[in-house]
Amino acid sequence: MSDLAVGQALPTGAPPVPDRPLVARSWLAGVVLRTVGQISARVGLVWIGTIAFCAVFAPLLASSYPILLRVDNKWSSPLAAHLTAVDWTLLAAVPVVGVLLLLKSLSFARRFGIFLSITLALLTILLLTLDPKRTNVYDQFRALDTTGRVQSIWRTPIPYSPSDRLRDQFDAARPHPWAPSRDHWMGTEINGGDILSNMIHGCRIAMSVGFISTGIALVIGIFVGAMMGYFAGVVDLVGMRLVEIFSAIPRIYLLLAFVAFYDRNIYIIMAIIGVTGWVGDARFVRAEFLKLRNLDFVHAAIAAGLPLRSVLFRHILPNALAPLLVSASFGVAGAILAESTLSFLGLGLIDEPSWGRLLDQARAGGGGFHWWLATFPGIAIFLTVLAYNLIGESLRDALDPKLSGGQ
Amino acid sequence: MPQPLLDIRDLNIAFNTARGPIRPVRDVSMSIFPGQTLAVVGESGCGKSVTALSVLRLIPTPPGEYLGGQILFEGRDLLKLPERDMRSVRGRDIAMIFQEPMTSLNPVYTIGDQIAEAVILHQKVGTKKAYKIVEESLCDVGIADPHRRLGEYPHQLSGGMRQRVMIAMALSCKPKLLIADEPTTALDVTIQAQILELLRKLQKENGMAVMLITHDLGVVAENADTVAVMYASRVVEYAKVEDLFDRPQHPYTEGLFRSIPKLGSGVDRLDTISGTVPNPAKFPAGCKFHPRCVRMNGDAKCATVEPVVREVEPRHWAACHHAAGYENAAGTTPVLDYKRQVTLDVLDAAGGVM
Repeated sequence: MSDLAVGQALPTGAPPVPDRPLVARSWLAGVVLRTVGQISARVGLVWIGTIAFCAVFAPLLASSYPILLRVDNKWSSPLAAHLTAVDWTLLAAVPVVGVLLLLKSLSFARRFGIFLSITLALLTILLLTLDPKRTNVYDQFRALDTTGRVQSIWRTPIPYSPSDRLRDQFDAARPHPWAPSRDHWMGTEINGGDILSNMIHGCRIAMSVGFISTGIALVIGIFVGAMMGYFAGVVDLVGMRLVEIFSAIPRIYLLLAFVAFYDRNIYIIMAIIGVTGWVGDARFVRAEFLKLRNLDFVHAAIAAGLPLRSVLFRHILPNALAPLLVSASFGVAGAILAESTLSFLGLGLIDEPSWGRLLDQARAGGGGFHWWLATFPGIAIFLTVLAYNLIGESLRDALDPKLSGGQ
Repeated sequence: MPQPLLDIRDLNIAFNTARGPIRPVRDVSMSIFPGQTLAVVGESGCGKSVTALSVLRLIPTPPGEYLGGQILFEGRDLLKLPERDMRSVRGRDIAMIFQEPMTSLNPVYTIGDQIAEAVILHQKVGTKKAYKIVEESLCDVGIADPHRRLGEYPHQLSGGMRQRVMIAMALSCKPKLLIADEPTTALDVTIQAQILELLRKLQKENGMAVMLITHDLGVVAENADTVAVMYASRVVEYAKVEDLFDRPQHPYTEGLFRSIPKLGSGVDRLDTISGTVPNPAKFPAGCKFHPRCVRMNGDAKCATVEPVVREVEPRHWAACHHAAGYENAAGTTPVLDYKRQVTLDVLDAAGGVM
C-alpha cells in the first residue's frame, strides 16, 4: 500500500462553499417568480404597469386645471379643488401600497385585506364629505394666463382635460377633429377634446372594466366550480347544466339589449361581462376540485375536524388557483375588448373618456376617415390585450412542469 | 369493568359504482380499549382502510353507503352523530395519520400554519399560544430546530420528517384514539423503526389508543395488543397477538405466516398463497377464501356455506369450517361480549396501563 493512499488530504484550491440560508418559498410564489422571469411576461407587465400608472395619476398627467397657481401673490391649486373622491382615493392608495410592501412580516392575504379596507374606508369617507367644484370652466386659466396677472403657474404635462372642448380656440376655418400637431400630440376628437388626454383618462375604464368584471366572473366561477367539484353527483349535474345555459348566452347581444333599455352605467356593463364570463373559470375549478378532493391532505384536513368552509376555500382552492390565473388573465383581455366593442358601436359611456369611443369617432366624422382617431386608441387596445395574453401565456408555461424543468 | 373506547359492531358498507354495488366491509366487529393498540391486517383491498376511514366518517356518501352496524365511541354512535358534532370528534377525540407522507400535507401552507389551524379550532387558543403548542408537539416528535421548521413548506422536508409532522399534527390536540393508516409503508426501513418507536413512546405518555392499519406482520408483532385479520371485506380471525402468532386458526393467517422469510431456514423459495385476491365485484360463493385454501380438499361446504366468526378456542375467533373446534363452537355467545374479555386479559398482562 502506498503512503499516498492513507491520511493524505486532497489538495484543493477552491474555498469551501458557504452555507446559503434556505428561503421558504411556496409553490405559488415559485410560479409567479418563474412567470416574471420570462421576457414576454416582463413586456406585458411593463405595459400593464404603464396603463396602471396612467390610470392612477391621470389627473396629474392631463388636466386643464393648473396644479399650482400664483395670482395676485396668492397661491392656489385649482386641480386639487376639482379632484373627485375617486381621484383622491387612487392617489392615496399608492403610499398605502408602498408601506404594505415594506411590511414583510404580514402574510400576503392579510396585507391585501388591510389595503382593501383602508382604501374602501377612505373612498366612503371622501364620497360623503368631499364636494368638488362641478363648474367646468376649462378655458378660464388659459384666459388668465394671457392677461399677465399670473405670477407663476405649474401645469400638468398635458394641459387639457379630456372633456375640455377648447372653445376659446374655436376657429370656423378649422373644424375639429384636428390632426396631430405640436399642441395636440395625438390630435383632437370630433368635439375638440385632446386625444392624448382622453387616452390617459381612458386607462381607468380599461383597467377597471378588466379587473372588476374578471373579479365578478372569478367569484361566481370559483363558488359554482367548487360546489360542483367537491360534492359531485347531483350538484355537479345541475351545475354543469347551468354552465351550459350560461355559455349559450351571447355576451355582446346581452350588453346591447341592456344598454338599449337601461342607463349606460359602467357598473351594469362590468356586471354583465362578469356574469357571462364565469363559465370557463367554473369548469377549471370543478376539474381541479374533482382531482384534489381525493388527495390525502384534503382527507387530513377533514380528519382534523376543520369546517367545510376551511376545507373548500383554505385547503383545496389555493391548490386549484394555477389554471385560474391563466384563465383570468385572458378574461381581463376579453373584458377590455367587450367594452371597447360596445363603445365602438356607440353604446358605451357618454361622458367618460374611453378608448372604444375614440375609435368609434374615427369613422363618424362626416364620412371621412380620421387616421389618428383610429390608430392611437387601436394601438392601445391591441397592446393591452396583447399584454394580458402574454402574461397568460407565460403563466401557462410557468405552470407546465414539462416546460419549466427543461429550460 | 372498563368500557371499550371504540367499539365497531357489525359494520356494513357498500359502494354504489357504475357496475353495481360492491361491499368493501361486511359484518366487521372489533373494539379498542384506552391505551391499547389494535392492528388490522390484510392485503390491499380487503377493506381495512375503508373500516378506518368510516370511523371518522370520511367515506364520501355517495358513492359510499352505510348499510348497517354501529361505531360506538365512548358509547356514542358516530354513524348517527350530526355533522357538526362529528367535526368536534374529528381531530380532537380521534385523529388520523395517512399512508403517504408526500401527499398528506397541504403544499401551499407552512408546517406551522397547517398544524396551528386545528389547534386554534379545537383548543380555543390564540394564534401565539397555538404556535407555541405546535412548536412543542414538533419537539415531541423529534424534529430538530422546530422553530425554524414552523416556517417551512412541506416540499422542503424529507419523507420521514413529513410523517413526523403528520404525527405531530395528529397528536397536537391530544386525541384519545389515533388511527394510523399504514403509517410506515412509504418510508424506508430505518425510518419505519424510528416512526413506530416514536408512536409507541407517545402512546405510553398520553395513554392514547391506536388503531394500526398495516400489512406488515413484523409491525404487528412489535406493536399490537390485539389483531384483526381481514380478508375479502370480512374479519376472518381475531385474537390476542401472542395467540395469533402461536396458533393461527384461519388458513389465510397461516398462509401469511408461511410467506415470511425465516433466518437460517435455508429454503430458496418463499411460500406463497396461490391464486389472487378476489375482485370485490364478484366474490366466490361460500367461504371467500376457498379457491386459494389448502385445507378445503374438495369439501362442498366450503364452496357453498360462508363461515361466520366463532370462538374456536378461548378468546380466539376464526371463521373457518376446518378450524379445530369450529363445529363445537356453534352455540357460543356472540363474539362481541368475549372481545371485551380478550382486551381485559391483555390489560392485566400489561400490569394495568390505565
